[in-house]
Amino acid sequence: MQPIEIIVIIACVVIVAGVIVKSIIDKKKGKTSCGCDCSKCSGCSSCKVRTNKEDTNKL
Amino acid sequence: MLRFALAGNPNSGKTTLFNSLTGSTAHVGNWPGVTVDKKEGVYKKCAEPIAIVDLPGIYSLSPYTQEEVIARNYILDEKPDCVINIIDATNLERNLYLTTQILEIDVPVILALNMMDAVEKRGDKIDASELEKRLGIPVVKISALKSTGLDKLMERAYETCKKPRVGKTVIEDSALKHLIGDVKIALEGQGVLNPTFHAVKLAELDELEVLMHKDTVNMVEAFKKTHKDEIFGDDFEALVADARYKYITKYFSPALKRKNEEKFTVTPSDKADKILTHKIWGIPIFLVVLFAIFHLTFSENLFFLGGLLPEGWVSFEGTAFEGVFGVEGINSPGVMLMGVMEVITTALSEVVSGWLSTSPEWVSGLICDGVLGGIFAILGFLPQILVLFLFFSILEDSGYMARIAFILDRALRKFGLSGRAFLPMIMGFGCSVPAMINTRTLADEKEKLATVRVIPFFSCGAKLPILTAVAGAIVMHFGVGNVDVITYGMYIVGIITALVAVILMRETTLKGDTPPFIMELPAYHAPQFKNLIMLLWDKAKHFIQKAFTIILASTIVIWVISHFDFGWNYLTDDKMQESILGGLGRLIQPLFTPLGFGSQLKAVGWVFAVAAISGLIAKENVVSTLGTLAACLISGAIIDVEADGGVGAVAIMIRETGITLPALLAFIAFNMTTIPCFAAVAAAKGEMPNKSAFKWTILFWIVTSYIVSSAVYLIGTAWWTAFIYVAVAVLVGAMIKLYNKKRSNKEKN
Repeated sequence: MQPIEIIVIIACVVIVAGVIVKSIIDKKKGKTSCGCDCSKCSGCSSCKVRTNKEDTNKL
Repeated sequence: MLRFALAGNPNSGKTTLFNSLTGSTAHVGNWPGVTVDKKEGVYKKCAEPIAIVDLPGIYSLSPYTQEEVIARNYILDEKPDCVINIIDATNLERNLYLTTQILEIDVPVILALNMMDAVEKRGDKIDASELEKRLGIPVVKISALKSTGLDKLMERAYETCKKPRVGKTVIEDSALKHLIGDVKIALEGQGVLNPTFHAVKLAELDELEVLMHKDTVNMVEAFKKTHKDEIFGDDFEALVADARYKYITKYFSPALKRKNEEKFTVTPSDKADKILTHKIWGIPIFLVVLFAIFHLTFSENLFFLGGLLPEGWVSFEGTAFEGVFGVEGINSPGVMLMGVMEVITTALSEVVSGWLSTSPEWVSGLICDGVLGGIFAILGFLPQILVLFLFFSILEDSGYMARIAFILDRALRKFGLSGRAFLPMIMGFGCSVPAMINTRTLADEKEKLATVRVIPFFSCGAKLPILTAVAGAIVMHFGVGNVDVITYGMYIVGIITALVAVILMRETTLKGDTPPFIMELPAYHAPQFKNLIMLLWDKAKHFIQKAFTIILASTIVIWVISHFDFGWNYLTDDKMQESILGGLGRLIQPLFTPLGFGSQLKAVGWVFAVAAISGLIAKENVVSTLGTLAACLISGAIIDVEADGGVGAVAIMIRETGITLPALLAFIAFNMTTIPCFAAVAAAKGEMPNKSAFKWTILFWIVTSYIVSSAVYLIGTAWWTAFIYVAVAVLVGAMIKLYNKKRSNKEKN
């Protein structure tokens, strides 16, 4: 196996695993995975279901 | 860290002020209800950093909608160090209504008179020092849009936050004065914080206060039995509102000196509204505006000059400009920019394939065909997406979008939907996720549920490449139609599907009264250049980020499973049929036979089924999957078509699979109406009242996409089947009407 083949395999595994792991971490943090930037979104914190429920529970 | 909250009426400029103070780029729009949740940023120009919290726009602190609940809870429970009450100075009296409620809370308050530039332009004057004296809180004139007066506002807010303030009410001349006083004393005795606010709210018999202070509410009930107002009877909420407005008119309004005190002036906005919100012409004008946007974005025959200009008046054929301007030089701006993008991606592909010419076959195949083929098929559409959103942003920023909701309210009301529900639907053209979240502004739960369900039918930015690639390939391969007309037509199909679905839901499972729709129409104004650029920059950044994360990972997976069999043996491009993807594709292919892109297709016909399923992760995957597989087919020398982006990829697939024109339209319709991407599904789940509603929603999307796309395929294949669909629709409609009539008669009896 040539070095370039090893590099490409490692790169592909890192990319695919990285995307999956990041989406899992984001989900655990309560972030959306829509691809939009939360800091720009008019309803960003609403995506955090927990925050929303807390707001409603305060009633 | 100190925390200052921005509170005010919808569309009073809170988010613009928030952006100016914190350097953020939160989305602003010229219609009420853009911000539905609180947002935080930091102001650093004061002696110490200050957290600025942008609250959703509210008209009062009564908990009628979720935004009002969020704002009320924040001010009462989170105890900000200062509330900056931002008001639209062009509408002083109405905005001060909320001010009178905030003043009742034990929190330092400062009043920011926003839009002073517009007030001065009108020739009106506001005496800020007089207002300050009467209100008993600092008043500062600002223009959030022009960033004037902001430093002074923050300086005074900083000084104000250091001085504790006790809430005061303006209900002095009201008959409820003594009741409020007594309730306040009782609440103070119970150690309740913000007793003035709670006392007034309890006197109004605010539903939350009644729940919170069950012991004290007896005082109000007892008073209610003895007191009847001549005008308002025992409606204490109306009595309090009346008292507030009377106070505002008496004490605060004199601070405003109008140039034309008596004369009613017709503003340019009023004149424009006479035409744009016309009872009959309003909707046709909207459809024409929408078509003009699509024409300027997607047309390769700008202003239909192709048929008017003499043949060969100019020819770029074979020149370096052909790809950008088209053969006759009549490409729309969107197509020109797409041409530029294609020149760049083609050059990059050539460079990379040159580098990898000596590498093993699978490495060059994976990188050139798999990764670049997939990603470039998507990236090619970025310029058109940006052009389309530039036009949508201009409509939003100018104030026209709010008018569309107003026009449609008139048309939709009889079908059980208010114009307010149309605003999140319009947001769905950008992205379904924030659009679904925006449905929180809908007070009626059933209307909200119906709206969330149909939002995915409003084609989002991620679905745009599917529409454009397939439409482009239809024109390229079959030589019929125009890209802009097909794309526009499919958008209209999505809108009609949404409206029909809402009508059906509101007539059957989600029956209920249509909530009233009251919206303040903002004045028209020229779009802000900075806003437009920021929005386009955000859109481009996120599209590219997504292309190099989720789409990149997906193209790698698609390429790998299309080049390995179940025994994990490597397959060359021409043996893709035997791959894992080929096996899975053939397994699910029959499901799509009624829609025209299933078992009836030859050879690699399963690619359409696979592409549609890959779209569940992210809709961009549909075109990138077709791009990856098409690139493999070319290098496998199965066909001799040179691909150009996503359009070329679909054109290759048409030749290779023998898919028909109606089936391609059904493919677009399916992707537009089926289950949206994972993120949108998660957002929908968050907005559902329970798990059952969510399960029904998923089923609703599947069934709707099946019905709509099979209708498109069947009517396209045999036009006379349209009559069957119309007959069935009429029959179903009549049955529902009959059933509802019987049921209401039964209820009456």
